[in-house]
Amino acid sequence: MSIIATNINKSFGDPPVHVLKDISLEIKDGEFVALTGRSGSGKSTLMYILSSLDNPSTGTVEISGKDIAKLSEEEIHRFRNEELGFVFQAAYMIAELSVIDNVLMPTMKFDQKEKRRSSAEHLLDEFGLKDKMKRFPRQLSGGEQQRVAIARALVMDPKYLFADEPTGALDTESGDVVMNIIKEINAKSKTTVLMVTHDPDFAREAGREIHLADGAIISNG
Amino acid sequence: MIFLAIQYLLERRRQTILTLLGVFFGTVAYVAVSGFFLGFQGYMVQQLVNNQAQIHIQAREDFVTDHQLDNDFYGTKYAHIFWSSQPARAVGYLEVQDPQAWYARLASDPRVVAYAPIMSAPVIMTLASIVQSANLIGCDPELESKVISVPYFMVEGSFQDIAAGGNRIILGEELMKRLGAGMNQVINVSVGKGAPAPFRVVGHFFSGSRGLDLQAYGNLGDVQRINLTPNRVSEIGVRLKDYSQANAIATSWGKLAPELIESWDMQNLNILSVFAIQTVLRFSMIFTVLIVAGFGIYNILNMTVSQKRQDIAILRSMGYDTFDIVMLFFSQGLIVGIVGAILGLIVGYLTCLYLQSVSFMNVTPTNPTGHLHISLSYSIYIQATFMSIFSASLASILPARAAGKLTPIEVIRQGG
Repeated sequence: MSIIATNINKSFGDPPVHVLKDISLEIKDGEFVALTGRSGSGKSTLMYILSSLDNPSTGTVEISGKDIAKLSEEEIHRFRNEELGFVFQAAYMIAELSVIDNVLMPTMKFDQKEKRRSSAEHLLDEFGLKDKMKRFPRQLSGGEQQRVAIARALVMDPKYLFADEPTGALDTESGDVVMNIIKEINAKSKTTVLMVTHDPDFAREAGREIHLADGAIISNG
Repeated sequence: MIFLAIQYLLERRRQTILTLLGVFFGTVAYVAVSGFFLGFQGYMVQQLVNNQAQIHIQAREDFVTDHQLDNDFYGTKYAHIFWSSQPARAVGYLEVQDPQAWYARLASDPRVVAYAPIMSAPVIMTLASIVQSANLIGCDPELESKVISVPYFMVEGSFQDIAAGGNRIILGEELMKRLGAGMNQVINVSVGKGAPAPFRVVGHFFSGSRGLDLQAYGNLGDVQRINLTPNRVSEIGVRLKDYSQANAIATSWGKLAPELIESWDMQNLNILSVFAIQTVLRFSMIFTVLIVAGFGIYNILNMTVSQKRQDIAILRSMGYDTFDIVMLFFSQGLIVGIVGAILGLIVGYLTCLYLQSVSFMNVTPTNPTGHLHISLSYSIYIQATFMSIFSASLASILPARAAGKLTPIEVIRQGG
């Protein structure tokens, strides 16, 4: 059970700009991998391809032994819902929903809201947001919103957590809190984490760092 | 997705109320305007089918056409005949040719409720120095009562008073006024043939329709006698179980005998064409209102889709598929359509009830309350519901489809 990418290429536009060049890698179960590189190095694009949100121009991605490109629409949506969690630089809260409803949103896709409610409440409690469950996103700070976003990503108990610069929009203190949560998730639940980051300090905290430059892997390990 | 769609609608209360009002007013307008027009049309149709016979079997009177007599005079010798003075006259009969055959046919037809033979004659009525032309209808009052409603509009006397014959006459109110006649007065009636006959006024009626109120009714035998057409009838009036079948029945009977057979709607094509224009106007007006309401929904949903791109991205990353996203936005339009339609139906119904209670018209025997006739037919409410929900759905589907096509990566790359 791992993420295996083979000869991934990605190009955009006409004339084509090659963003990723023949990338092959394997991320083993339970690993905490930091994807680093300068802006435009292709790290976010690689993460989106590895997480099934984007398709490679050529090459294959296998997650848990499944070739993503060969999954049907229904299978890919179920797979994303049950196996993958996402955290972005922005928290992307649904403004109309309370904190607890935001966290429970993934559970509603396949009618698991009541089944997962205690898990959602536990996660919020763990992230120091127990007293803010009924609040709305506009009533939370940026760091709190990002913690809610992490709780939302984890509520379905996914095998993989993909984080695209989760601390990018936060102050140092909030960034540290979010980083500690992610580390703890990886350590305690053995959730495989792939995190894109600019920050070398955060990258060092991951078990493994993959460094990209101009769409190619410069260092892996 | 309905849960989130409702949250979106509740959060944008002002926009939601505005779009809701569009559908609401469209539905109210449809119900009230349709109720008004259909009520009026229904009232008019009831007048047409009740005050007069629903099918008229009349003696056919045609006119000679331009070259109808060419062959009779010149045979087939000439390719074209030029008449210095075009032959012209009415041809045909003034009476129904074989009334007994018609009576037998009508008596055995299960679609017929009743029939009544009449002899109608244009007459000159004289009372002292007052001379007035009128139409005198000779009938069997018992049979006639089953075919038309004039007998129920009697102001004084009874329609049955002419049953025994003996030159008794019932006058329409307008005719009575013009003659200056009173009850039991004797008026002289002339058909232009023979000497005028004295008739005693035994009753008068008021229908509210000037055409009807200028007519007079007498016993069938009396009118046949003074008209010098004993045992003849000029028309047989028929009442049907289902007046909407009148046109088809009249057309089929037309093939059986030489008489001119017309249904109530054939005789009132001008009125019915006005109804058709009213219907077109009604639908055009409502369509315009609902188009405006639909554009309101379309604009607001379009705006919502562009404001909610981040939500769409995060929902897609959670595993929600295209259909879920389409339904998220489509259901908002649908909810607005359904709620607007329900509120519109209620207020439209109350508006109709109010209009029914307000006096707008003169009191007549056919409209004893003087109130507007408003239709509360359930078909109006079904149509209104369908049109409101259909326009709201149509307006929602395009923005919803656009939302469904958005991919998470597209939104994230463009920075939400």
